[in-house]
Amino acid sequence: MRDLIRIKSLISTEVEALLNQQVKKEAYSSSAYLAMASWCNRNGFDYSAEYFFKQSEEEREHQLKFYKYILDMGGNAISPDVSGIKQEYNSFREVFEDALDQEISVTQSIKNIYARCLKEQDFVTNEFLNWFLKEQREEEYKARRALELFEVIGEEGTGRWEIDKHVGKIKYDSEA
Amino acid sequence: MVTTTQTSATPTWANVFSTAKGAIYQCDEERCWYVDFAGKVAKFDYRCLLKLKKAVYHVDIEDRLLNSGKDPDVEIIFICACDHCYVLSLLQIIALKEILEGTFVMLQLNNIIHDVLYRIAQYLD
Repeated sequence: MRDLIRIKSLISTEVEALLNQQVKKEAYSSSAYLAMASWCNRNGFDYSAEYFFKQSEEEREHQLKFYKYILDMGGNAISPDVSGIKQEYNSFREVFEDALDQEISVTQSIKNIYARCLKEQDFVTNEFLNWFLKEQREEEYKARRALELFEVIGEEGTGRWEIDKHVGKIKYDSEA
Repeated sequence: MVTTTQTSATPTWANVFSTAKGAIYQCDEERCWYVDFAGKVAKFDYRCLLKLKKAVYHVDIEDRLLNSGKDPDVEIIFICACDHCYVLSLLQIIALKEILEGTFVMLQLNNIIHDVLYRIAQYLD
């Protein structure tokens, strides 16, 4: 008996479902960052608002990368419903705490897909995911660095204004 | 690569999985599956078979059993862009679900066997 499903699709239904879940996660991240940009803008943190607009754009690109990969491999990419986005924050610091939590959860879910692919010996998808693992190094670094600024600068006096200015300068350029 | 050629003109159906209630056959020549269930044999291609699986799995059997409403326990399995439509009782849904579950396990097993065999065959070449 021929393997007809393999002819049609390179990825298993389980991996396809996980990748679709990841599409949803990236879409959620993109929307969450937009809400953060809005909050920062409304509260006068212009540099941080700009930083979150860029982050939102990046997450959207990640979403499309996963989306197109599923289609390229013969799978069914599902356009996700995104709901439950937090619109209000109690403090400037809380925005960045949430941003780091979001990035950590994305890293964890990519690790889960990677583990599943190793189990299935789906090395093609593993190779595709490598780019994202490297990307998460940058994403987590930036989120962690932003939170660090609250420690090293402090929020007293003009602290928040100073933190906002430095958020716009956060870069990750490790080639390792 | 290991290939087998068939000279017969008539397409052959391989039994993928069957129960007392029905069966699913695979036809290599036509690259499709034939679902023998509820008194008819229907042809499904790859996309439609996945849609059928999704539609059947989507029925909340437990909810239907516990629901004491007056509406009849009948599900219409209609698949978009597919020629077939099933009107099934709850018992038939359970039976079809069992057949589909078994079928996809067998197809997955077939995939694993092919994967391993092809890799070994390449070493032997």
